[in-house]
Amino acid sequence: MNGRIKELYKTQILTNAKDETYFAELPSATHVLEAYNPMCGDKYTLYLEIEGEEIRNASFQGYGCAISRASTSILIKNILGKTLTELPPLIDQFMEIVNENSDQSPESISDDKELLAFAGTREYPERKKCASLSWDEITTIL
Amino acid sequence: MKYGCRPTLDMLDVKKIKSQFPIFSQKPEKGAELVYLDNAATTQKPQVVIDAITNYYSGYNSNVGRGTYWPATQATQAFETTRNKVQHFINAKSRKEIIFTSGTTDAINKVVSAFLIPDLQVGDEVIVTEMEHHGNFIPWQQACLRKGATLKMIPLRESGDLDHDVFEDLLTSKTKLLAITAVSNALGVVNDLHRLTSKAHEVGGKVLIDAAQLVTHEKIDVQAIDCDFLTFSGHKLFGPTGIGVLYGKEELLEAMPPLSFGGGMVKKVTLDETTFADLPNKHEAGTSNISGVIGLGAAIDFVNGLGVENIHAHTRELTEYALERLREMDGVTVFGNPKERASLISLAVRNVHPHDVSSFLGERGIAIRAGHHCTQPLMDFLKVSGTCRISFGIYNTKQDVDRVIEGLVEVRDFFA
Repeated sequence: MNGRIKELYKTQILTNAKDETYFAELPSATHVLEAYNPMCGDKYTLYLEIEGEEIRNASFQGYGCAISRASTSILIKNILGKTLTELPPLIDQFMEIVNENSDQSPESISDDKELLAFAGTREYPERKKCASLSWDEITTIL
Repeated sequence: MKYGCRPTLDMLDVKKIKSQFPIFSQKPEKGAELVYLDNAATTQKPQVVIDAITNYYSGYNSNVGRGTYWPATQATQAFETTRNKVQHFINAKSRKEIIFTSGTTDAINKVVSAFLIPDLQVGDEVIVTEMEHHGNFIPWQQACLRKGATLKMIPLRESGDLDHDVFEDLLTSKTKLLAITAVSNALGVVNDLHRLTSKAHEVGGKVLIDAAQLVTHEKIDVQAIDCDFLTFSGHKLFGPTGIGVLYGKEELLEAMPPLSFGGGMVKKVTLDETTFADLPNKHEAGTSNISGVIGLGAAIDFVNGLGVENIHAHTRELTEYALERLREMDGVTVFGNPKERASLISLAVRNVHPHDVSSFLGERGIAIRAGHHCTQPLMDFLKVSGTCRISFGIYNTKQDVDRVIEGLVEVRDFFA
């Protein structure tokens, strides 16, 4: 099979899609969000425990493709312990990595291998929403 | 070699037929050669259909039914000839029973607003099935919600077939209408239209058939089925998008208020009132999709030239071959096992999301559909968020099946 598609599903994506570390309900959550893509039915519940400005704890549950599942897991990993004011630059960075119209190379945006793995969706605009699903949803708390 | 592809006469014919579809001679920059297995979504267009549309625009472009100059005469003739072709294609009693719409969904919505809603009372009942496409579900659901009517659902058996016992229990003197798909676009189940229609008629209910997926499956005979309405789209019949057909029994179309209002559907207009044109013009307000109608006419000629039964015989053979191979595959589940199946298969690859499957196959140039196929209630029944759907057309071959199987093996192993 053409290597281009395998590039999209780099090891980081496949590994994170199977990672159970953050896959749980969070009874102490202060915010519960639903990231849902009606086009394909992918649905994640995002649990956030926010105290003051700080995201003290976070997790998710739900179902979707490898790309959306991995990107949700990586989102949770990245926002844990962050303050709300730290989120917009992080989200912007991720959105730029997956933006097929960006004039910046992914590597010039970030050196985080896990985030950069999603740059492959630039080649597959129909899969961009999979990568950005939960990242879009998280902006609703800002 | 068990699955060797013997060059049968059938396959040689298919090669010739396929050569009439210009998309298959495209050499895409990135992707591999196209294996098109998404025919339930839309079919590819043969050159004769493309030419018919081009010839209209370049040769005799004009509005229809109005002008008194040669392109108008020619356009009107081509437009109205298509109405006759549609009439014969579905064996309608009269050409007045053929109304052009923008597609199946538009036709259904028009029946809802012009036929159902005006007479729908609180407590009336509309029956649909759990396998309906949203296009033949949401319009009825919303009408019932708005008017305080009850929407009843025919459930499915494990095989995917409709549960006729439950259906008969659902019928009452309050049944206004049964809206039913001829073929499930997600499972491939073919419904027994004669039986369903006659049972609904026994209690005085009218019947609308969504024939979007039926048009390449079998020769439609609305008089034999005795349905009250039947709808289909041109684009699933090798024709253009944006054109569809509403068939309705003459007396019903006659009694209904116009589906929409505007130019071309009137006899006389004064400041106080309007008298409407006779059928079929009464239901076709405004300028129609003329090129779409002409393209549809060419598509019907194309299909008649091949024979719906020959198209179906070919795609059924491919479907059976695919089912045989899929059932031998570890890690693949085929949804539904209906008594009669149209040329489509819904499946799942173990532990791989349908969109991941379709992206991988897409990279090989293999076009399948992944998702809920606009049938979310059915997906709930299957307890999945979506499936992978393979649907065959006249231009597909056994090699196409082999390629999709190879692709599925690779996907399964990559994600394992």
